[in-house]
Amino acid sequence: MHQNQNTSSQDSKEKRPKFFINDHIDILVEILKRLDGPSLGVAACVCHLWSTVARNDTIWEHLCFRHVSSPPPCSVRHVVVALGGYKRLYRVCMRPVLSRLSDSDMVKRVWTRDEIQLSLSLFCVDYYERSGRLGAGGGGDASASSLMFLCNTVNV
Amino acid sequence: MGPYGSTTCSGVSRSASSSSSSSVTKPPADIDGCLADAGYKVRSSDLRHVAQRLERLETVMVNSPGDLSHLASDAVLYNPSDLATWVDSLLTEFNHQPLISLPSDLDFSDGAVINNPAALPRETWTDNSSVIAAAPQQNHNQLTVVTAMEEDSGIRLVHLLVTCAESVQRGDLALAGSLIENMQALLTRVNTSCGIGKVAGYFIDALSRRIFSPQTVGSASGSVHENELLYHYFYEACPYLKFAHFTANQAILEAFDGHDCVHVIDFNLMHGLQWPALIQALALRPGGPPLLRLTGIGPPSPDGRDSLREIGLRLAELARSVNVGFAFRGVAASRLEDVKPWMLQVNPKEAVAVNSIMQLHRLLGSDTNRNSPIEMVLSWIRNLNPKIVAVVEQEADHNKPGFLDRFTEALYYYSNMFDSLEACAMQPEKALAEIYIQREICNVVCCEGAARVERHEPLDKWRTRLEQAGFRPLHLGSNAYKQASMLLTLFSAEGYRVEENQGCLTLGWHNRPLIAASGWQVMSMPEATTNQEAVGIINQNNNPNHI
Repeated sequence: MHQNQNTSSQDSKEKRPKFFINDHIDILVEILKRLDGPSLGVAACVCHLWSTVARNDTIWEHLCFRHVSSPPPCSVRHVVVALGGYKRLYRVCMRPVLSRLSDSDMVKRVWTRDEIQLSLSLFCVDYYERSGRLGAGGGGDASASSLMFLCNTVNV
Repeated sequence: MGPYGSTTCSGVSRSASSSSSSSVTKPPADIDGCLADAGYKVRSSDLRHVAQRLERLETVMVNSPGDLSHLASDAVLYNPSDLATWVDSLLTEFNHQPLISLPSDLDFSDGAVINNPAALPRETWTDNSSVIAAAPQQNHNQLTVVTAMEEDSGIRLVHLLVTCAESVQRGDLALAGSLIENMQALLTRVNTSCGIGKVAGYFIDALSRRIFSPQTVGSASGSVHENELLYHYFYEACPYLKFAHFTANQAILEAFDGHDCVHVIDFNLMHGLQWPALIQALALRPGGPPLLRLTGIGPPSPDGRDSLREIGLRLAELARSVNVGFAFRGVAASRLEDVKPWMLQVNPKEAVAVNSIMQLHRLLGSDTNRNSPIEMVLSWIRNLNPKIVAVVEQEADHNKPGFLDRFTEALYYYSNMFDSLEACAMQPEKALAEIYIQREICNVVCCEGAARVERHEPLDKWRTRLEQAGFRPLHLGSNAYKQASMLLTLFSAEGYRVEENQGCLTLGWHNRPLIAASGWQVMSMPEATTNQEAVGIINQNNNPNHI
């Protein structure tokens, strides 16, 4: 390291190219795709650029379905995007459902198709309730969300 | 005295021990030998009772807000070798309360002091009750600290409630009224924020409404908007309605497999919370989504707002987002029996599913002047030839003809339901869900005739009724069971149980099922006629009545 610094200080006049990750967004995306949820959240706090990149929904799609036993059908993406996107799906449904359904380290767990289906259904109910609150519809004044129970701490 | 043992026995034992403790040298045969060697006289049959009392005494002493020195100076306790009496008198010292007054034929206590309940001082009780209120709320096992007197008061409350109901059934409203007053006084001594105190409070309120102000009972039902709101909070606070929706959806989804035009008839639309999940599941089903029609039945809105249509629009917007062809129709009817099949506009080519979440029991009020509504509705359902009829009902027997039977059933059922609600920590969802349940209780207890719509019947009775009406059961299958179990795991409360009951699923609290979901299909026509038609034989002597 010390030697590298000496050589780089010697070569600085020779304009040897350095590697800045921010110059290579595609590599940044590839790296972020492999993070778990909390780390992705931390990464989004690094700088404006990383925050924008981390909001890329495909990264969250990878996170949601990283450990499925079989890849979900392509029609899923359209539905999830219509209902609010993968980042919201992860935050509101997948993460709480995963942490409730397993005791062990959440990241390494394999999802089953039923668990995905249940998460998607709950996500849809969440979308529907939000649409009622924003609109002037009959359920507009019900401020409760049926997914709030997912936010409660698990009975220890 | 003791909660489980017979109360008269302890009274007898007390007098027996006080007489036997005087001069006898050898303990009688029923006195426990080991304790007798240590100098204590306890009957073997009383051992469990005394042990419980000692535990409670210890709890009371540990939790007592004041110091215990008064026990050394002021208390006069005789004969400590008679352990049972000694412990009981110590407990009484702590509570400084004589027992509640009761008419002599109803006094199931140990025959001790009878006083005017109105004159009883309150201070000591508030000390004890504040200790109890401080018990940690996150103790989901509900092992709240109770004093001996409080547990007794709880038992006594139940006893009084049942006696009051029995006198209502007999028509003795004067006695019932005085029992209400006794119970209300007793209520001040128990913790009414949870457990038996809370349930008893609601039942006492319902009984007093029935006895003292029967004319106001009908107006307690609330506006349509209010009911929908309370229903929504009940949906949030506990898993019963979620279980109902998800299980029914799974059954409907499986029944619609392979069909491209499907029609769901919902007997009670409310906010339409059941349908987003079905729309999403249909959107993602292999082979693509079908064309979905939804007919939602609901009460008309009084203020001229077409709430059914508003819900339909919201669902349509959701369906459009996920590319499911969707059409909605609202049918406004205040009672299900007012709905006629032509209003539903069922297309013969489409696959029909009928969805009834806690609606069929409202049809069970019998009116001898005309056809029973339940039979009428079941017959037009049958004529629609649905692929599935999803039925979810409360698993309770609240339609017995005798008032006392109904009352005691309801007391047991709603105690379990309130216990399960304790697990919910969300406010105001929990409080409003309780109001929702309280309205059901009021209807079961206070109303009669056409006004009583909460006529719950257990699964077995529904099975018989539906089979007689020409339906056969559809087993709900393992997918529904898995989904229900997963849903329960997401709820942080221990204690809920999903069980399978001959193809139907029930959700309950500990050992008591509280809600049951089942699926039904129309029983096919007799095999004989269809076979004959297939083969081309036409029997000219066709007897239309042969089954």
